[in-house]
This record gives sequence, C-alpha cells and structure tokens, in this order.
Amino acid sequence: MATDIARLGLQTGLDQAASPGGVVAAKRQIVTFGGGGFSMEAGNPLLDEFVLQLTGRSHPRVCFLPQASGDADHYIVRFYRAFPADRCLPSHLSLFRRLRSPREPRKHLLDQDLIYVGGGSVRSLIGVWRAHGIDRILHEAWHSGVVLCGLSAGSLCWFAEGVSTFHGPPERVEGLGLLPWSNTVHYSSEHERREAYHGWLRDGMRPGYAADDGAALHFIGDELAQVVASRGDARGYRVECRAGRVVTTRLATRYLGNGEAIPLVRAAKTERVPAQI
Amino acid sequence: MLILALGGHEFSRRRGNEALRDYMLGLVEAATPRICLLPTASGDTREQIAAFRQSMGSVDCQVSDLSLFRLEGGSAALREHLLQQDIVYVGGGSMVNMLAVWRAHGIDRLLREAWRSGTVLCGQSAGAMCWFEWGITRSTGVARPARGLGLLPGSLSVHHHRDPDRRRALLQAVSLVIPPGYGVDDQAGLLFRGGELAEPVSARPGAGVWRVESASGGGWTETQLATRRLSDPRSAIDEPDAHVAELRRTVAARSGARRRA
Repeated sequence: MATDIARLGLQTGLDQAASPGGVVAAKRQIVTFGGGGFSMEAGNPLLDEFVLQLTGRSHPRVCFLPQASGDADHYIVRFYRAFPADRCLPSHLSLFRRLRSPREPRKHLLDQDLIYVGGGSVRSLIGVWRAHGIDRILHEAWHSGVVLCGLSAGSLCWFAEGVSTFHGPPERVEGLGLLPWSNTVHYSSEHERREAYHGWLRDGMRPGYAADDGAALHFIGDELAQVVASRGDARGYRVECRAGRVVTTRLATRYLGNGEAIPLVRAAKTERVPAQI
Repeated sequence: MLILALGGHEFSRRRGNEALRDYMLGLVEAATPRICLLPTASGDTREQIAAFRQSMGSVDCQVSDLSLFRLEGGSAALREHLLQQDIVYVGGGSMVNMLAVWRAHGIDRLLREAWRSGTVLCGQSAGAMCWFEWGITRSTGVARPARGLGLLPGSLSVHHHRDPDRRRALLQAVSLVIPPGYGVDDQAGLLFRGGELAEPVSARPGAGVWRVESASGGGWTETQLATRRLSDPRSAIDEPDAHVAELRRTVAARSGARRRA
C-alpha cells in the first residue's frame, strides 16, 4: 500500500506523452465514474467536461456506447443533448440496430478521442461486446490513446472484477481487465453493494478502488493518477484487505467546480482515514 | 415440453396476430396463465414491452416482463420468476446479442430448465430461431447463419417471404453447412412437442411454412407444409370487416350492372 501511495504521489502522467526522440507514445487513460455525468447529474457538466478536456482537443470526437442499457433510445438522446455538436463531434454505436449505426465499428472507435460507456447491466454490456468483438477493439483503442470513460456499469467494465447489483443480491462480476484492480461504484450511497465488496475482499478478491456518486478515478496506464469530483463531498477510495481486515483509504479528491481551469493531471495526494467509512 | 416458434408476430390487431396469441394461450391449462416477456433481443425496448402488456392486458392472464438491461420494472429473482411461468414469450431483435446476454446472466440454462418442467416457450423472429441449433440472423446487418440454443434440432429462418435475403441465406446454408430446417412466414408458426414438429399453423392468408433440406447432388429442396388455419377472435384493423366487404362487393356489382345497362 505504501508503495502504491508513493507511486500515486509521483504520478504526473504528462511526461509519458512525448519522448525526447520526438516519437509519441500513446498515453493509456481511463476515467471511471462512481456515478454521475449526464446520466445521473442533469445540469452538472463537470465530470463530462473533465473527460472532454482530457482528450487535449478543442473539438474532440466522442462516441457513446449505450450497450449496458440495451442501446435505449431515451438514453442516446440524452447523450446528444449533453454532448452538443458545438462542443464536440458526438456519435454513438448501436449493437442492436446495426443498420442505423457506423458500418465499421473498429474504424469508427479507433478514430475517436473519447469513448463514453453508459450505465445499466455490466453483465449484459460485456456479453454484447464480446459477441461483436468490441472488447478487443476497446483494448486496441486504449493502447492507441483514445480516452475511455464511463459510469456505473461503464466503470466496472474496465476492471479485472467488480460488484454488480442487478436482479437479486450483489454479484461478483468479471470485467475486461484493462485495469488490474477490483472496482465498485455508488460507494457511499449503496450500503449492500459496499458490504458485499468488503466481504469478497476478505475472501481474496484483489484490492481495488471505489468511487462515490460524483467522483471519478483517472487512471494513466494501470495506475491511479488522480481523483476528481463534481460534488464537494464525493470521494474516491482505495480499498484492500490487510491481515483479514478491510482497509478503506479515502483519497484526496479534487472538486472540479471551483471555476479554475482544469489542469490535465495534478499529482494526487492521499489522506489516511480510519477504516470505517 | 412445448415450443411455439413464430415466423413473425406482433402484439397488434393487424391480421393474424391475435389468432396466434390466442393459440399460444390455448396451449396451457391454467385459467389465468402466467406469461413473462423476455424483450432481450430488442435491448428491452419500452415499445415492445408496452405492446405486449397492452395486448395481453385484454385477455385473462398474469403479465410480467424481465429486463436484463434496466431495472425500470423492478428487480426479480430470475430463476424463481422464470420457473413459475406458464408461458415465456421471447420478442424479436438481435439474436446474437440476446444469446450473449442470456449466457452472461445464465438465462439460457434457466429456460432449458423451465421448458423441461412444463413452461411453454414461445417467441417470434429472433425469439423463435433461438430454440433451434441454427437460425438466420441479421444481427450484424447481413443475413447469415448463427447458432441457437439447440433445444430443437435443425435450423429455422423467419419472415421467409418478406425478407428474400434471409430466405436465400437459409437455402444456401442448408445446401452447404447447416442442418435441414424450416422457413416460416410472418403470422405462421410451428408447434413442437419435445423435439418433434407437432403442428404447423397459419393465421393469415398466404402465410406458410416450408421444409428446407439439402438435395442429393447439391442445392436444396423447399417443400410447403400443410398448416392448420387459425382465425382472429375479432376483425383485424388492417382488413375490412365482413359487412364492409359485402357492401363493397354489392356496390361494385351494381356499378358494373349500371355500366352494362
């Protein structure tokens, strides 16, 4: 843990973008929301604006993947409202109505600056992606520098494993594994999910990260670079089991609503709090 | 162990649809059957759920639907809920997506279990092909063969004469790689008892069922099967009722008589 925190403190992320020889190595970035963005925070664009700015482009290409919701029309419409054409170049990929969607998903996804994954069922999301080979394309997009982000199911999907609550009690689910951690979402607002997560951590689930509604974890490569929030009280957490006890470390979380220009990455600081959250 | 596979069916009052709905309800003994819609193939669209609920709401049954994407209808214990149904109705959409999502949630195993324990499995389009070893799907845009759950032997293709690409794909695939099967028109269907075809049905003039097999020496054979004709319980909204039809015949005959005079 100490090593992790040291690494977090040192991580600035920006240094990876260009090497002295002028060869640009793509920076792998994933931003996972514990909940929030246009799906959950109507009228609060802070997290969505944060991921748009991470692309480093003034008019980024953004593709919405709504598969966790079954490509729900009403959700797609809300995406287009939240990502208007004067701010970015929005598109969506439907895997239920392929005829009304980009013909070549791979080319389309690799052309993006940002891929935004909506909420819903993470099991259904990954099932549909695998059936169409989208999981492999997303892996490729990540390596080629496309920023990946999402909330709820769209957060869980990037991790090795996570906690899903859908029909019935919380379930342990496997994600795509781009991030070698476990993950849970809606951390402070869903007691049952949090308890289930702690139980699995004690049973040997790998350590991971949790986020409240309104908090977002920004990973560069495999490592957490910073935590940002669209609400003053939202936090991100490092959660792990040590000597049979679940230790939750509340991570310094930068509120995005202070009106200052958003720096691309600022080194995250951590603060230790007692285990009980 | 009953499965009713429909080549095309909607929950509307257009010709043949209510006849098939009532035929399906007649397959179970319960006075007030429990029927659950699985709208997975459509991505659980509100339209499909609303049409199902409206149509089933006008007959005596207990209606539910099970979403695997959103929890707007509330959370349910999947196994208990599915196994207590008299009928599970599977709607149309993307067969490939539906099977991938079912497998991710273990629904494929539950449906097999429900079938064996007496639940009637029913569905149209993707929801009909999924029970066979093979279907002809448009899930990726073009019509091509895709594997189903294999509860029933052979292959099935739907919208047989409305979608010529699908029919062509079935004939070609059967002549080359996939096992023999059936092509079924909209508003026609096949009832299977166990793994055996029990009764082909048709609820619209011109709606038929074809047996498709590979021919010795290459190619295929396509043979129309005799169907039991089903009638709508009331006049469909897209056909004139009997009185209007009679009046139109009378007017036509009279104007013909006037012209001859």
